[in-house]
Amino acid sequence: MNIQLRNKLISIFVIIWLAIFYYESTCVYYLEPLFKRELPRMKFLFPPAGWIMFYNIGDNFGYTEVYGVKDGNPQLIDPHQILRTRAIGYDNINRNALITVTSPGMSDSFCPFLKRRFPYFDKFLVTYVEYPQLIEQPLERTQTVVYECNE
Amino acid sequence: MSNDMKNIWNILFLEERASIGLSFFRIFVALTVGLHVIPSFFHLDDNYLSTAFKTFNTDFFPQSFIDWVQKSPDALVVFFVWAFYVTWFCFLIGFFSQISCILMTACCYYFYALNCFHIGTLSWDILLVTLFLMCITSYHGDYFSIDALRRGDIEAWRHPRPFFIQRLLQLQTASTFFFTGLYKITGEGNWITGNPIYYLMNYPSEGVTKHFLLKEWMAVHPHFCYISGLMIVATELSMSFWLFNPKTRRAAIILGLCWHILLVLTLDVPTIFLFLFPAQMMLFIHPQKIIDWIEAKRLINSQSPRAKIIYDGECGFCRSSVRAVQVMDLWGKIDYIAGPKDMSEMCLCLPDGKTYGGFFAFRRIAWICPMLYPLIPIVYFPGSGMLGPLVYRWVARNRYLFPVFHSCAAGKCHL
Repeated sequence: MNIQLRNKLISIFVIIWLAIFYYESTCVYYLEPLFKRELPRMKFLFPPAGWIMFYNIGDNFGYTEVYGVKDGNPQLIDPHQILRTRAIGYDNINRNALITVTSPGMSDSFCPFLKRRFPYFDKFLVTYVEYPQLIEQPLERTQTVVYECNE
Repeated sequence: MSNDMKNIWNILFLEERASIGLSFFRIFVALTVGLHVIPSFFHLDDNYLSTAFKTFNTDFFPQSFIDWVQKSPDALVVFFVWAFYVTWFCFLIGFFSQISCILMTACCYYFYALNCFHIGTLSWDILLVTLFLMCITSYHGDYFSIDALRRGDIEAWRHPRPFFIQRLLQLQTASTFFFTGLYKITGEGNWITGNPIYYLMNYPSEGVTKHFLLKEWMAVHPHFCYISGLMIVATELSMSFWLFNPKTRRAAIILGLCWHILLVLTLDVPTIFLFLFPAQMMLFIHPQKIIDWIEAKRLINSQSPRAKIIYDGECGFCRSSVRAVQVMDLWGKIDYIAGPKDMSEMCLCLPDGKTYGGFFAFRRIAWICPMLYPLIPIVYFPGSGMLGPLVYRWVARNRYLFPVFHSCAAGKCHL
């Protein structure tokens, strides 16, 4: 390819890439508050909320516990039996991957999955465990049933 | 002014520099993708088949695309698994490097849209941005690749290419650091108003914090945690400047490597943090410095006694194989001598007087050529000392029947 043409194409690509990269990096937390409206986003490529790794860590902590119920007796199911996929070098359960199942609407897909994985149990309780104040009250622990999976 | 701007633009993006760093980076990108995605294939029924529990990233994908992917029958999912394995391996070894990168990335998108429960993390999104840039050109296949052997270019390690891909990857790394720091102290970030490290140290055992030596001590020293938090933010904000400043670059790269090792040792974060980000740091090493380093080693080796490979000079397959060794001989440690036609096996003579033949010569060459290092565990695997010579002898007997790379056909290959 002609070098001048190649350089022009590269320059065009670099300019477009940089414009989109920095637009997407700042859109949610800087540009949208600035313009006070929702701005168009580019799908398929950039982290939807920007580069927000560990940006907000509160002094509370919540996670999911799932119980299988057999003959009326609830029994805690090891989360590693629910999410059997072992990631290399880290534990997805400790990364709180299972918290997703407490989101609204998740029971429709999570309950059939539990029934398939653990046919022994009659029903399941999906609970949310929370330590609301890790620093002030480290032993305070609440647990609420988010939903039940019945037959 | 306009000329100055043009010059700066040229230096930043268009100037041709050796792509060997990018080729090395390709291997780390492939390893990162493989380590992240392949474990999710071990339980296809849990993760991707119709029986799986699935979650979807509707912020990343349009709903219509997710709906379309969800229509996949199980057989198609299995097809994509194998397509991923093949394209991933081709990308790892640099076989049709750009095409395999594009196809592997397409598979990654497919599985991400199919179910983001296991593989979907913020660092995965970062990896996809990197993959997209890698798909743009084939520069990452210039060296440490089968493509380099196919081309037979013995100077492949110094192949000059426009620098824009490596520069954009550098900018991505630096910006990731900068914005990660910025988000911590602006908007909803709480690294100034709160004490995130202190909170992390007090997380219950179910949380993201691993058990490490200082954890319990830090859990009762909030001031230390707060100061550490501020130092982390300050480092993240300034890292991009340190990385781009030649005077502080080396220290910044070392700091970045230590940073990610520390991160993986203390928190349950995806392995992408350990495999991709340190490799991204290495992209800041100026390609000319790598070339100078290689050339210095080649110069020393050229003035020292070198190993000699004696091969059948009449056989096209042997010539092309030796050509491949020549491409892989990055340190210039070997001389190549065409021997008589009736040789039963190639011969390797080391400067210390030791001589190896056939498979055992190849096994010794694996220690000399960096591109063959990954084969060392295979050629020394128990039993390979018996099987290897049998395979070698079979290949040697039939060497005139094997295909020859174009550059070595009809005696055109100059060694």
